[in-house]
Order: sequence, then C-alpha cells, then structure tokens
Amino acid sequence: MLGTKSAAELCVLLIDELYGQLPSRVFAALLARGRSNVGKLVQQSSLNPKQVRHGLVVLIQQNLIFYHTDPDAPHSLYEANPSAAYNLVRVGKILDMVENQYGRTAKLLVHDVILLGQIEIAELVRHYKHEHCAQKKDSDGEVEAGHNGINGDDHTNPNHINGNGTASSATEDEYAEPEDEEVYDILAQLIASGFIESVTASTFQSPEDLRTGVEQEVMKDFPNGLRGAKQTNEFDTMVMDELKSIHGERTALKRKLQDRLDYEPNIKRRKLTNCGWANGFVATGGGSLLDEEFDTMIRLNHDKCIVELRNQKLAEHVEDIIGDTTAQVYGALLRALSKKISRCRVSGILSNEEADFLEPRVSTDDVFEHLSPSVDVSFGIGTASEDTIDIRYAEKIRRDPPQLQDPSFQDGLQEGDVVVASDDEYDETGELTNGAAVNGSRRGSKPGQNGTKVKGEDGGPLSSQRLRQMRQHLLILAESKQQFVRHCGAGQWTVDFGPLLQRVRFIELDTMIEESFGRQGLRLTRILREKGKIDDKTLPTMALMRKPDVHVKMAEMEMAGFLDVQEVPRDNNRAANRTMFFWFFDEERTLRRILDSTYKSMVRCLERLEVERRRRKNVLSVTERRDVQGKEKDMLRSDVYSEWLEFLEVEKKLLGQIGRMDDLVAILRDY
Amino acid sequence: MDEQTSLLKTQLYAACEDALTRDPDRVFTQNELMGLDVVQDAKMLLQLIIPLQKEKLFAPVQFEGGTAWRLRSEAEAAKYKLLTSHDQVLVYDIIDTAGSEGAWQQDIKRRVNLQDNALRKALKELETKRLIAQFTTVENISKKMWIKANIKPSARTTGGPWYTDQYLDEAFIMVLQGVVMSLIKDRGSYLSHGDRQSGSMSPVLPKKGVINGATSEAALKSKKRSADAMSKEDVVSVPPPKKVWKTVRLPLPAGYVDYPTTEAITAGIKESGVAKGQPLKQEHVQELIDVLVWDNCVEEVKMGDRIGYRAVRITKQNPSLSVRPDSEDFWEPRGNGLTTVPCGRCPVFELCEEGGPVWAGGCEYFDQWLA
Repeated sequence: MLGTKSAAELCVLLIDELYGQLPSRVFAALLARGRSNVGKLVQQSSLNPKQVRHGLVVLIQQNLIFYHTDPDAPHSLYEANPSAAYNLVRVGKILDMVENQYGRTAKLLVHDVILLGQIEIAELVRHYKHEHCAQKKDSDGEVEAGHNGINGDDHTNPNHINGNGTASSATEDEYAEPEDEEVYDILAQLIASGFIESVTASTFQSPEDLRTGVEQEVMKDFPNGLRGAKQTNEFDTMVMDELKSIHGERTALKRKLQDRLDYEPNIKRRKLTNCGWANGFVATGGGSLLDEEFDTMIRLNHDKCIVELRNQKLAEHVEDIIGDTTAQVYGALLRALSKKISRCRVSGILSNEEADFLEPRVSTDDVFEHLSPSVDVSFGIGTASEDTIDIRYAEKIRRDPPQLQDPSFQDGLQEGDVVVASDDEYDETGELTNGAAVNGSRRGSKPGQNGTKVKGEDGGPLSSQRLRQMRQHLLILAESKQQFVRHCGAGQWTVDFGPLLQRVRFIELDTMIEESFGRQGLRLTRILREKGKIDDKTLPTMALMRKPDVHVKMAEMEMAGFLDVQEVPRDNNRAANRTMFFWFFDEERTLRRILDSTYKSMVRCLERLEVERRRRKNVLSVTERRDVQGKEKDMLRSDVYSEWLEFLEVEKKLLGQIGRMDDLVAILRDY
Repeated sequence: MDEQTSLLKTQLYAACEDALTRDPDRVFTQNELMGLDVVQDAKMLLQLIIPLQKEKLFAPVQFEGGTAWRLRSEAEAAKYKLLTSHDQVLVYDIIDTAGSEGAWQQDIKRRVNLQDNALRKALKELETKRLIAQFTTVENISKKMWIKANIKPSARTTGGPWYTDQYLDEAFIMVLQGVVMSLIKDRGSYLSHGDRQSGSMSPVLPKKGVINGATSEAALKSKKRSADAMSKEDVVSVPPPKKVWKTVRLPLPAGYVDYPTTEAITAGIKESGVAKGQPLKQEHVQELIDVLVWDNCVEEVKMGDRIGYRAVRITKQNPSLSVRPDSEDFWEPRGNGLTTVPCGRCPVFELCEEGGPVWAGGCEYFDQWLA
C-alpha cells in the first residue's frame, strides 16, 4: 500500500521520532530489503546482531513488524508493516477522539496501551494505577511529551494542537481518580466498541503469510492437487472459512463483551456526565467480565479508530458545505452508524463475512438518540413558504446505492446519480407516525416550516418537534450534491461511503488546484474533467477566458503535473500547426501524485523539526534534565526560557501541520 | 432562348422564392426543383438552370454529395452586373457564398488561383465599389477577412456578446457573473440575521447551548467545564470562522422548488439592466452559469425535470449580494494540509532532497513560515 520512497522515509522518521534511532534503522533496513532474517539485517544495517535483536524486539512490541517462523527453516523472517508505522502519526488524534467519546480515563488507558504496544489486561490496569493514580504528575509529564507532539488536529488554535499539554493541566486537578472497577468497565467498553483488540499469535503474521499458511493446511485435504473448477471452489471456501475462524478468534472477546454489555456506551456516557464519576455505573458492571480475561493481550485497533476519525472529517466537510447545526446532526448519524462498521475499507479476505455490514442503516430515532441535547436543531436551515416546498423531492427515497464509478468517469456521478426506477417513491408520511398523533392532521405544514418561527406553533410535544427539525437536517444532507446520506427507506438512513469519499477526495483536489492555480485553473480542470479531452481551441470559448490566458494557465498546470496533453497530427508531417492538441486530466494519477507529495511534505516537516532541534541543542539539553522538567520557568535564565518557548512554538506548528497533512492522506488513502 | 423557356424560367424562380418564404435558408437539389411542378423533364430543367446561373440568380453549392442551388435575390444578382472583370466576378462569388462567416484572403487566393497583384487589385476594386469590406475575426485576429459590405459578421466571428472590438470583454463578463451570483444567492438561500443566532434558545434545552462561534469559544476557555464540554459534539465543531459576518445565509429546506432556473436568471439580468447595450439570450446566460459551476461557486439542483441553481457552501459565503466572485472576501477560503504547508506551493519541490542543494533544513520558505 505504501511503496513510494517518500512514504518509506516517512515511516522511518516517525519511528525515529517516537522510539529512537535503533528501531528506526532496523525498520529502514527491513523496508529496503523486504523480508529478511537477522543475519541479512546485520549486513544491511551495519549494526551488530545484538543491536538488531534489540531493535526487533522494540518493533514487535509496538506491532510495527510481522514475523514468520517456519518450523522447517532455521531462522525467523521479519517483515515491515508500513501501515502500522504510518499510523503512529495519528496517535494524538486517536487519543483526543477517545477522550471526547469515552472520557479521560479511557484516554489514559488508550494512551498506556499505545505506549506499551501490547499488554496483558491485568498488567495494563496495574500500570495505569501506578502511572496515573500515584505519582501522576511526574512520570506522566515526560511520557506524554513524546506523544503530545504528534497530537495536532487541524485546529490552528494553539491550545488545541497540544491537546493534552496546556489545556488538560487545568482539568487534571479536578479529575477524580477512578475506582478499580471503573477502569475495568471502561476498558470493557473500549474493547466492545473495537478500539482495543485482543492479540493472538496470528496478529503477528502478515496477511499474506496467514493466507499461505491456511492454504497449505487446507491443501493437505487435497493430496492429489486441485482438479477442475469444483475442487478449486471447494478449496477457496475452505480457506475462507478457516480465515474467518481465525478472525473470529481475534474478535471473540469483543463479541462476548458486546453481548453482555449490551454495548450502550453512549447512554452510559450520558449518565456519567450527568451524575459524575463516582456512581455512574454500578449496575452495568461490564468490567467484571474481564475477570476471566486477565491474561489476554490487548492492543490498539487502528482500523476502528480510523472509522471514528473519518466520522469527524466528514462532519467537518458538512460544516463547510452546509452548516454547523447540520454537521452536528450528521455527526450523530455517523456515530450511530459507525457502531456497525469496524473498518473503513472492506478487506479482500474478509469480504464475505462483512458483506452484511456493507450497508448498515440507522433509523431516525437512532440518530435522534445520539444527538446531543445541547444542539439546537431549529437553527441552520432557512424558512420558506409552504408552496415552494415539494415534499416529493424532499422525501425522495433511493433504495439502491449509486454505483461507484470508475474514477475516470467521475463527474458522471454528478449528473447521472443513477436515479433508478424508484424515482417516484417518497416518504409520504414524513414519519409522523413516530412523531405524535397530536399534530398528525397538519401534515402539510411540516417540511420546511421549521425555522424558529414555527416553534411551539403546533403544540405537539417538544421532543417530536425537535425530531422533526432534526429530520429536516437529514433531508438536506440527503439532497446535497455530495449526498452525505441516502434516505433508503421510510425512516431509514444510510451512507454510501465509497462514492461519498470519492467526492470528498475531489473536493480536496479542487481545493488544492484553486489554491495553486486560482479560480481559473480550477475552472479549466473542471471543464476537462467533465468533458474529457478537449482541444486547444474550444477551451477558451467554454471557459470565457482569453486565449493567451488559457494557454499560460494550461502550460503552468502541465508543468506542475496536473494536466496532460495529447498530440494528434493531422497529417504525416507532424508540423506543429497541423497538429491538434488535446488536453486532459488524469484524475487517478493526479490523486496518486498528490498523495506522494503529501508524504514528502510530511517528511520535510519532520526533517525540519530535527534541524530546529539541532539548532537549539544547548537549550534543549538543559530542558531535558530531570530536575528542570516541569519547572522550566523558574530554573531557566529568561533568555533561554524564551528561546525554549520559541522552539515549542515551532515544534507545535510543524507537528500540527503534519497532523493536517495526515488528514489529507487519510482521505486519499484510508477512508 | 424562346419565349416559353424564358417564361418557365421566371416561373421556376418565382416558385423557388415562394418555397423560400417558408424556409429562408433552403437550398434546392435537382429533385426538389422538379418537385416544384414547373418542369417535369430533367433536360428542360437543365436548360432553365443554365441561364439562371448565368444571371447569378442561382448559385450552385455542393450539398450532400450532389450539386444544389441556392437562390439569390435579384438585387444581389444585380450587383454582379457592376463587376467589370472576370477576376472580380470570381472573387466576389467566393465572398458572396461565404456569407456572414466571411472569407479569408488566403483562401480566396488558393481557390481562384490568382497572382497576388491581380487578387489585390480585384479586392481593391470591389472595395471601392462598396461591395465588400474587410473585418477581423476573434478566432484569429491576424487573418485578413472579407465580407460582403451589406451584411454583418456572424456571431461566431465576432464572438457573440462577450467580445467588444474583437477582444474578450473580461470586465463585462465579471460584472455579469457578479449579477448572476447575486441572483442565485438571493433566491436560493435564506438570509438570517446574527441576533437570531445568539439569541433565543429552544425551550427544549435545559443546558447552556454551545453552538455558535463566540459562545462555544467562551465555553471552551472557561475553567470549569460544563457537561457539554465533555460531550462528543465538541469533536465536530470546528474552530470559529476567522471572519464573522453579522448576518449569514442559510440553506433552504430540502425539497425547495424555487431555486432560480436559467430562464429566471436571464429575466433577472434583463431587469437589472446591466447588459442594456447587449441583450443576452438564454444560451449566453447558460454559459455564464456553467462557468460559475466550474468555478465551484454554484451547483445544480434538480427540481423534478427543471434544473435550478444554488450557491455552494452558502454559510461560508459573504452574505452581501454585491460581492463579486473574484473579490477577496467572497467566501472563507478552503484549505487543507498540503495548501498550508510551504511545500505545497514550493517551486523547487521536486528538487528538494536531504543533502541536496535544496533541503528542509536550509529552506527559506520554511524560515518565513516558522518565523
């Protein structure tokens, strides 16, 4: 999945940043050589075997490599797991997200899990208590400093970039120490929702190894080899079953907890925030389940985290395109929906199993349940008189998902929309059945008439009015050009992530083109994307631009690699004036290039950070001292102190920027 | 030529003229001429056509593989009588058939195969007789083009309403785009005044609302966090916009059917009186709208089988109607990770390499950015 030079450099730098030089050198050697044993790594990295082994241990502990031990071969083979290495950049975001969803204890737990790589449950709890309950301040400070850095989300607000640095220190004092029981409870929740997964022996095998192993095992049942299509099919299903059972093994604990806990973190959380920590969940007691599982190894599950990060990003896009209130409603919908989603992209191996997860749906009530009571849904939509609203369009139901089109036809998505036969279908009732009978008779005035002006007018119960207003936001989302949700049945909503993300990718692409080449550049590329290849002469007329301007712009964009040109000679001479030039825009290639540029820019930011560190070496060497840490202001000379602050500013900026670029990578690659 | 032929000839011409009143651009093929019920016999028809052609009342044209004839009015045909030399006739013929598209001097030269001098002389004579005139086309300003003096160059050669004196009138287009944009904004969104936002809260809410810019910021900064501050929704709320407009435009409810269509916009432009000297047809307005769509300022909305337009990112747009799409504060610009890092706009990005002439440590763009 990675494979470019910049991506490899980035992984190495990230490991260097978090775990130091030794593991990063071993990892670099692994990336350069592919699968290798210790001996090969020694040759490649000019380290001695002992050092290499040390490095490998760190990497295994942090889940950054796969290994494979063949009983017949003398040496174990190691293989880099670049996507795991890349995920290091998201650590801060994940912590932020977990804190927002499950509270501070959960964040600290996840933090410890990340720090320790993989750990037994009992050990984790012990560690947790040791670290955060006893001598919270001291050890915590140092440990977090390492992670803080990467923590930037795209808030430019400085308080936010270092999420748990300055901002959290205030809350830390108020933060009551949780009881043992609660820690287990929260851990159980995290496992049940999939943020933390259990580790089995198979987790350390690369997917290919796993498959090969299973295939070899299954092959033993076919001593004569595979003959004909029937046997091949049989073989495939057997392999698939076997893989499924391995996957089932991995998620066994999760499912067990899910069943028993009824998996309602949200309701519980609400209870928590209202009643405070002490008496929050006496009854639920999911933690007791973990009693039998003390020796289970656990680690962070990035797949699930990415799903949650995707929700955030999509909600941000809604905020940008439609508005704030609608984004909150969308956030609620995504939260409800993502309970049923364990990963963003369906992996090839498990496609059958997850097929039923492909189109999870949520009901309006579900969304309502997840909507925070503090969101006032009556804002954010204008009012219009009744006769300008056509309920048939507003409530249109699309049962079938749009086809994810080949990227080269992308703009077809906008026109085609694949509105199939169900075009005329719409939700006639506007879901009044679950509103209230009280206002059932006034159906005509429902949609649209929901600004604040209508408030209280029809005297129904407030919650049903609120529900209706929230529905309006959902309908707007469904109607939007980007089709953030699909109204897939009366009271049922779903999100077609594939096509939606494709559109989001193009939004990012457009942003980038507009930023680099201005509105006119954007105009020209969008024309090309819509119309395909266009010859030199028609373009200016369509774009209403002067010919020379067009040529300058086009040449500029071609130099930057955004456009391509095809020459079609009209005769054999191939003279320039007898040749037609067709411009075109290769979307897929451009997206790939942008992805690589992003990796490269991230690498540059990290390199720059290293340079800045070297530049202020004398300051940093002082602040690194144990006796100085935490009391920099008192211990340092004022000019040194201000220089240190300056450096922190620079570090914040660079790491924050890396976080923003990671958002882009996630959109282009992971979501 | 006997009397009968000449009579038939006049009849044929009259019949053609008659047919032309229904379809002025029509050309006649041989079969169609036979079908006019003047002559039944092909040989006879030929005898009629030859003199008509000589009198320049019929002009032969190539049409769908065969020859066809275009009718020329008697007044036009009379002009040929003014021509004194054979060259002039040939040249004028070409320019005449070219019609409103005009003929390029090089083309004329190639087709009549005349010496440069002779051609120039013929053109000069025709010009002094006020039969032809020179003009330029927007498609290629340097070409010498000739057209009959009494007709105007076609829209294609003048470039339609967007051109003034062969130059694209960008200022005019920009003003019109502004008008279109304001029409779309005005009719396709709801203008909400700021006081409504921060003011009353729905009675449903027991808690302090944390919704809009100022309030939420205050809530975040306050030391004591409310229960809401713990809530997940904070994840979703993005930093408050840098520029806060007093009023804001809001999207209209789903199913709204009054988004302006092309017709409505055309009418709106007419009303506004911006393009008085240059009446705009619907297709021209459509061109303007298309450009706005490509610029990502406007999007199509399907309202049944009609297509309306609404502004994109309406809440991020400047609510004022007079702001033009090219101005700075048209809307809050969008950005992403790559546009804000110096590398995203670095001219030597490709050369940048650790240990190379350009590298992150010695990068002046980073210096500026981090300063």
